Amino acid sequence: MFNRSIWSKFLTFMFAVILIMGFSSMAGAADIRVGSLNDMTGATSDVGKDYALGIAEAIHYINDTGGINGKKIKLYQFDYGYRIPEALTKYNLFKRLKCVAILGWGTGDTEALAPTVARDKIPYVSASYSGHLCKPEKTPYNLFFATDYSTQSRGLITAWYRKKWPTKPDYNKRKPRIAMCYMFASPFSSASIKAAKDQAKMLGFEIGPDQDVSLFAIDVKSQILTLKEFKPDVLLHTNTVMSVAATLRDSYALELGADNLIKCWGFDENLPKLAGKAAEGAIGCAPWAFFGLDVPLMDKVVEYAKKYNPGIPLEKRTVHTVQGWASALGLAEALKRADKVGDLSGPSILKNGFETMKGYEIGLGIAPATFTATDHRSQSEAKIYEYKSGKFTLIDEVDLKKEWPDKWANEWLGW
Amino acid sequence: MRKKNVLLMILCVFVVAVFLSGCAGMQAKPTAKNFKTPVVTLDSMEVAHAFGYWYFSNKVKPTKGKPDNVGAPLDLAFTFNVENPNTFPVLMENLKFAVAFEEFDLNMVSTNAAQWIPAGKTNQVNVHAHFDVRQSLLSLLVTGGFKLKAEGTNAWAALEKWWTGIPNYEIPVSVKEGAAVFNAGDMVKVATFKATFP
Repeated sequence: MFNRSIWSKFLTFMFAVILIMGFSSMAGAADIRVGSLNDMTGATSDVGKDYALGIAEAIHYINDTGGINGKKIKLYQFDYGYRIPEALTKYNLFKRLKCVAILGWGTGDTEALAPTVARDKIPYVSASYSGHLCKPEKTPYNLFFATDYSTQSRGLITAWYRKKWPTKPDYNKRKPRIAMCYMFASPFSSASIKAAKDQAKMLGFEIGPDQDVSLFAIDVKSQILTLKEFKPDVLLHTNTVMSVAATLRDSYALELGADNLIKCWGFDENLPKLAGKAAEGAIGCAPWAFFGLDVPLMDKVVEYAKKYNPGIPLEKRTVHTVQGWASALGLAEALKRADKVGDLSGPSILKNGFETMKGYEIGLGIAPATFTATDHRSQSEAKIYEYKSGKFTLIDEVDLKKEWPDKWANEWLGW
Repeated sequence: MRKKNVLLMILCVFVVAVFLSGCAGMQAKPTAKNFKTPVVTLDSMEVAHAFGYWYFSNKVKPTKGKPDNVGAPLDLAFTFNVENPNTFPVLMENLKFAVAFEEFDLNMVSTNAAQWIPAGKTNQVNVHAHFDVRQSLLSLLVTGGFKLKAEGTNAWAALEKWWTGIPNYEIPVSVKEGAAVFNAGDMVKVATFKATFP
């Protein structure tokens, strides 16, 4: 009897060992699938490639530090070359692959996909920070970890009005003059123009004629010559870095004499390289710290850039890598929160994940993120940097919600 | 009872033998000290598909379908040798690289199709890079506009030269910023590579 009991225990143990060994290879089945739609080859590849690298490196970091409560993220990252039809094709592939969420890219494709994303209930964390995406009743599944373009533009104009206008000889003698340079046909470039004009009007600016500057412009002389008649004190640029650099160069060469305010995608480490002296004194909004600055988690950003892309020199890496990290880390936090309640469906990631974030600190120099069921503007603070003597220096932080609480709550949401 | 015990003993010996036979094939365990970075080299670049050089703007009415800004596609296939110098197999998790025509970066290509490379062996990986005149035009304008201007040329002239010259292997095509991620156990190594063909 004794022998029989020992044998049966031994056999049970052996079969358990075999079963565990046999099924250990299935551990990977618990991976959480995330899609990433990037432009590494198209019209926004000047900034998109670095962002895409940042996404992939951040996912490595997330997986190396415990994943989503022990589950690894499987990233499906595709280049769509900034072609909207291809973005739709890739989106359908993500659905087939059963991705629980998507890290998206530009304003054109993000806004085009917004109704589909809402219907499919798939959280979509974009690198488009268009204010149009912040109203949950219209775009419930669109989110991002950044100051939206409209808040950036309002913040830039406000900071210049406070810090720079009083230093000008005509201060208190006349209204400040502003003009805006952007690609009219680009949803990205024109996304915040209405808000920018509203802010300028509110602060008492005289607004000059808009200038149509293509995202691909390398010669902006005719637009600058037109602006010379208006004599602006300041220009607002909302394109990406190469065309902003071209505008700054021609503005400098033709001695327009205006200051320059630049939205996040036109204000990076490549701007001084492309614009040279003309970049001196440029003011931009960067919701994240520039690559390599001394802020929490930046050591990891640099470490993973070196580790996973050693062929790309660190001096070629930019703030857009940091942006990629912010999107990936923000999504990972939402997934962890939803996973904790045992539900990784889209509605759960939204409600139990994103919309439970109240002042969530990512690090990377980003203001704390808050999402509510009625407001997806994750940040109300515009961080304003100035490029001077080879350095980006934080010169102002404009908290739109604190300064204009009524307008923030009742007027400015969704545009 | 005794007969039953003998049967059980045989069964156990069988199970242990199966278990040990699995162990017999086991190679050296990867450690931080013995894990060498695999070596990735470009074996060749094939012009897989070429359709000449042309471009239609969306103002041109097509014979069928809707007008759009479209240009000739060009499909290049890159074959890499991936050599595992280790005494244990390694898993190639992904491989990515940039493609430049002359000194202009035009594409970033990757594959996430994971594959095991046996100990001491060399596998081959084939990655296609798709280009078309429209997409390359936009990329070139935002990343190389100033450089082209400084060289006294423009995007259209460069594209025509490449689309007509590359199918004849007359233009150097470079693989840059290459990085392949390898896993062994819980360790990671990244191999870098670059090359120009022809």
